[in-house]
Amino acid sequence: MSEPRSRDHDEFLAAARAAVAGSTGADALDALGWWDLLGMLDDPDARAATFALFRAHGRELGDTPALGALAAAPYFATDDGTRTVMAFSRPATGGGFAHTLLGTPVTERILVDTGAAAPVLVEAAEVTLTPVAVPGRLTIHAVTVAEGAGIPVTPADGLEAARARSAFLARVAAAYEILGAAEGAFALAIDHANGRVQFGQPIGTFQAVRHLLAWAVTDTRAVESVTDVARDLDVAAPPRFDEIVKALAGRNGRRACERSLQVLGAIGFTAELDHHHFHSRVLALDAVAGTSAELATALGAWVRAERPDPRIAPAVLSA
Amino acid sequence: MSKMPDPTLVADVGAYAAAVDGWCATRPPALAAAVRPIPDYATRVEVMSDLLGALFDAGWSRYGWPETLGGLGGSILHRGAMWQTLAAHGVASMAVFEHLEVLLPTLAALGPTDFVADALPAFLSGRERWAQGFSEPDAGSDLAALRTRAVLDGDAYRITGRKIWTSWAKYGTWCLVLARTGTTESRHRGLTAFVVDLRHPGVEVRAIEQANGTDELAEVTFDDVPVPATRIVGDLDGGWKVAMHILSHERGTYAWFRQCFMYRDLIGHVADGPAVSDRAVGDALCDIAAVAATSGEGLRLHASGATLGPRATITKLLLCEAERSIQDAVLAGNADLALAPLDDTTALLRQEYLFSRIVTVYGGSQQMQLETIAKQLLELP
Repeated sequence: MSEPRSRDHDEFLAAARAAVAGSTGADALDALGWWDLLGMLDDPDARAATFALFRAHGRELGDTPALGALAAAPYFATDDGTRTVMAFSRPATGGGFAHTLLGTPVTERILVDTGAAAPVLVEAAEVTLTPVAVPGRLTIHAVTVAEGAGIPVTPADGLEAARARSAFLARVAAAYEILGAAEGAFALAIDHANGRVQFGQPIGTFQAVRHLLAWAVTDTRAVESVTDVARDLDVAAPPRFDEIVKALAGRNGRRACERSLQVLGAIGFTAELDHHHFHSRVLALDAVAGTSAELATALGAWVRAERPDPRIAPAVLSA
Repeated sequence: MSKMPDPTLVADVGAYAAAVDGWCATRPPALAAAVRPIPDYATRVEVMSDLLGALFDAGWSRYGWPETLGGLGGSILHRGAMWQTLAAHGVASMAVFEHLEVLLPTLAALGPTDFVADALPAFLSGRERWAQGFSEPDAGSDLAALRTRAVLDGDAYRITGRKIWTSWAKYGTWCLVLARTGTTESRHRGLTAFVVDLRHPGVEVRAIEQANGTDELAEVTFDDVPVPATRIVGDLDGGWKVAMHILSHERGTYAWFRQCFMYRDLIGHVADGPAVSDRAVGDALCDIAAVAATSGEGLRLHASGATLGPRATITKLLLCEAERSIQDAVLAGNADLALAPLDDTTALLRQEYLFSRIVTVYGGSQQMQLETIAKQLLELP
């Protein structure tokens, strides 16, 4: 990427971090004018700014409903000013589907699409929200939708196109949030390596610790790089690239947190340090829109069945 | 050499890739020969040299190199597209021509123009090949401790010393030699890069048979070998900068060229393995994507005139991870490579599997790469 573009991305990220760190819920999104960006995702800069929010979200442990809002956007042709967020659905242990709402709920309408039936739009009054208490500083609610509630949604570009676009956006955004959270855990480990003295010297002088940290930054750089490619190529990305991005992000995000935890030692496994928040944030995001295990397995089956050509062409890199 | 560049192909990498693809689709004999599995390394070198000759005659390999040096213009993105297309048409590796993307970018950027203008077309066309003479018996990871000396004698330097793990020296015409022109105490500040003619009297090449059966590496002895001062690459005592430029490519952008062939291995040899899980195949696909994305960023940076610098080490670590995960799956699905590598395909799989266990050594051991990251990128104490 050219230097000026890189500078723009750095500025988007800095602005997003400041907004997310300074306020919660919809206020942070309003401060950035983030909702307006959802109608401009074809524009590379608007897309970059939209996604920068998620990396900031992970890094600052922000708590907004942005991921659900981004995932809901492709289902609606025009923005009528009503803020809709999507609840993320996955098969429930005892059958049926479990729905999860991420971030402080600020919306009047929730989109529910299990993939098994037509998507429906339900009013906030029609659902029961049960708080889920896990670390991560992310408000999480289990959503119970009354039977027969909601009105069917018919996306203007067709349901399959909306679902595919929603999944792409959600996966790339979740990958950025995983990246930011892993970077947060890693930053704690770096501080610890520089400051913690054992055997008369900072533990960051010991090769075993240095190499753990070098692997951790390698894990996160891989995520950053593939996610940036998805952001930049967007609809020109190779087939199922969003799944590759999300699978890699979940896997490597967890790895980076685990390596950072090992550097931190016992203090990293306490409520006194934020590592557990970053780690739990990564676990939560890995579980949304396909876990790394589910996606890698599905990708492997796809490679076997279809012998696809998932190459990134140099021609698109130069675009 | 008289072929004129097509401005459309210079400007549009996609159009260039499509044109190369069209050429490959006509199945030129040199390409058809190169896609067959060839376990014998010397034969593979000959066949790949013929393919390079055909690519040069058709003009394709000249894109991506400056016109002033015998190329047809364009950038490293053209080269990335050419090898990706060749891989898609079944070429298994760059075999002996890896230095087109390790040494040649540095020669083009820092080498003596008159010499490179002759050497570049000769290399691109497969007529001449190159070796890299960095490591010595007592200077491996500690490269700055190297002792091969170059002493000025009139208008030439006389080089004496011993190099080891010199890649492709048996098959090479030229060797880029890092030699000491300063005092031993000057460490990395007293090194200079020279182009040495491997055919010159006083040069002795002893090929080393590797564990995978190939003889890509060699021990090379230089006994008072004269090298004209005009064959210095970079500046006198500026050899470290040359070495770092090469390593930026060897650890960074080269990964792009290598990953092109990984997709082929994944689709062709991993996906059939009954003992390989879907998850392992999917994870390997992710590993390749990480290499493609980070090295692709390196390609873009180099195309715009910048370099990856120490970040190239991260790309190299990711490349090693991908090599291992793919070859682990190859082994899991092909027990014959351990017990009965009787056919050419399996014999070649065995070579590649074994080589994947040593990728963490070439271009600087993995432990040195991790130290580079810890020191230069993370700035740890």
